[in-house]
Amino acid sequence: MAKDVKPTRKNLMEIEDRIELSERGHGTLEKKRDGLIMEFMDILDKAQDVRGDLADDYEDAQKKINMARAMEGDVAVRGAAAALQEHPEITTESKNIMGVVVPQIESSRVSKGLDERGYGIMGTSARIDEAAEAYEDLLESIILAAEVETAMKKMLREIETTKRRVNALEFKLLPELYDGQEYIEQALEEQEREETFRLKKIKEKKEAEEKAEKEAEAAEAEAAEADQDDREDSQPDTAAQSPTANE
Amino acid sequence: MSVGASNPEYVNARVRSRRASLFADEDYRKLIRMGPSEIARFMEETEYEREINALGARFSGVDLIEYALNRNLAKHFDDLLDWSEGRLYDLVSRYLRKFDVWNLKTIIRGIYTETDSEAIQTDLIRAGELEDGTIDRLLEVDTIEDAVEVLSRTIFYEPLSDALEEFEETGALVPLENALDREFYEHLLEDISRGPGHEPQEGPEAKFVEFLQAEIDFRNARNALRLARSGADLDPATYYIEGGVLFDRADLNRLVADYDELVDHIEENKRYGDRLSGALGRLRDADSLIQFEHALDAALLEYSDTLSSIYPASVSAVLSYILAKEREVENIRAIARGREVGLDESEIEEELVIL
Repeated sequence: MAKDVKPTRKNLMEIEDRIELSERGHGTLEKKRDGLIMEFMDILDKAQDVRGDLADDYEDAQKKINMARAMEGDVAVRGAAAALQEHPEITTESKNIMGVVVPQIESSRVSKGLDERGYGIMGTSARIDEAAEAYEDLLESIILAAEVETAMKKMLREIETTKRRVNALEFKLLPELYDGQEYIEQALEEQEREETFRLKKIKEKKEAEEKAEKEAEAAEAEAAEADQDDREDSQPDTAAQSPTANE
Repeated sequence: MSVGASNPEYVNARVRSRRASLFADEDYRKLIRMGPSEIARFMEETEYEREINALGARFSGVDLIEYALNRNLAKHFDDLLDWSEGRLYDLVSRYLRKFDVWNLKTIIRGIYTETDSEAIQTDLIRAGELEDGTIDRLLEVDTIEDAVEVLSRTIFYEPLSDALEEFEETGALVPLENALDREFYEHLLEDISRGPGHEPQEGPEAKFVEFLQAEIDFRNARNALRLARSGADLDPATYYIEGGVLFDRADLNRLVADYDELVDHIEENKRYGDRLSGALGRLRDADSLIQFEHALDAALLEYSDTLSSIYPASVSAVLSYILAKEREVENIRAIARGREVGLDESEIEEELVIL
């Protein structure tokens, strides 16, 4: 990349601006990544607890429904379930954790009282109640697990993205920019040196030319002087031979 | 049919032979070690052969067992009503109305959830007093109001009509189901006992009344304990069934608010205290009512068995057979379902009630 840039002062200034921006961004993203990791660790702890509870609740609910089906019969359990009037409702909202939008799931009518399950109390048994209660608890756990695990996945994805950005800045963009900066600086220095050298050479050449000119002039003058002297030496003879020539 | 004189001797002779074909302890021990398909095959070689063969093409596994059990139960109880005459018919049919209640609740739930009539039909146990024609007409209606109209010539019409208003207001089936259950329990003692102190003092009817009172008391105890545990804002009086000796309405209202006092009240009762003391002791510390309900089922079965030994040629013996047959069906179903879901032998054994 460095070689693709024209080594000009303008480009150097542009690269310096980009380096400054990238360094600042790198710092910010590093802080964001660390913050996200800390938040993620908190959510991870919570998710592990929720997962554990979910597994326990599932086992408990399965055991209770199996017992209810065994002792009351499948038909009775299905019949009691069919009497349910108010089905659970789920609404989702969102909250922001360090720029990551995670869902917040609100549930209603999941846990019900004995009078809200729809089946008559006189003709049913505690097995049905306990199976229904265990499934209500399981549903609550599933909803909580869905919220926490979705948040965890989103956080993880954001951490990965941030980490990739930090690494891209740290190991790709910034080194390239530094290379570019160095290349331009070196190229400019080289250009400067070349310019100085060229100027020096011109100066030397000019001086040499001036010197040669001066020498030529001096030689010319000398020649002229010598010529004059020669002429002056030969003048009386000429004047004696042709008096009109002096006129 | 309630015409003619009562014929307990004839019915008891028939019942004794039926009782002899009930599964024995060793049959249960064999069944516990089998898987669902082996249980079905075992049943094919017993009393349940016809039902297993008839339903084998439509169902398989535990569903086949459960539907075959229900159909066999219906056949046997229908026979009881066919054999009985006069007063005996009245007494037996009023107890078997529990299956009418079951069927009506199943049909009402089916209509409520818009289930197709064929699916509802498979879940019915036609062992009660309602005629097949009435049940078939109920399966054809689309609304609960129409179903109540179909029942206009039965004892269920009035309570259902009264509960219909509340159903229409709340949209919940609870009032209808409770009305049906209450109708069953409140007719149990009709014209036999006029409340505590006015029941027959001796003879088969006295024991019969004692058994029915136990059934009502145990139902009241179950409901009171469930209400006390749930903490739901419900009026206990709504769930009180008259005719028992364990609670009166005021007792129940007071005791539902205090769980420990409620357990003490049951324990202090002379008739049931000793019989249930072990289960009540465990109930105080347990966070589940299941074991206590289990103890109630066992106590009721024991009660009926005692009655049949004291008056072998009375309605009590028929009632005892009804309970024993029901218990057999429940035990086989528990074993099959238990094996299906992977319960081990000891867990299944704990759930069985065998005398």
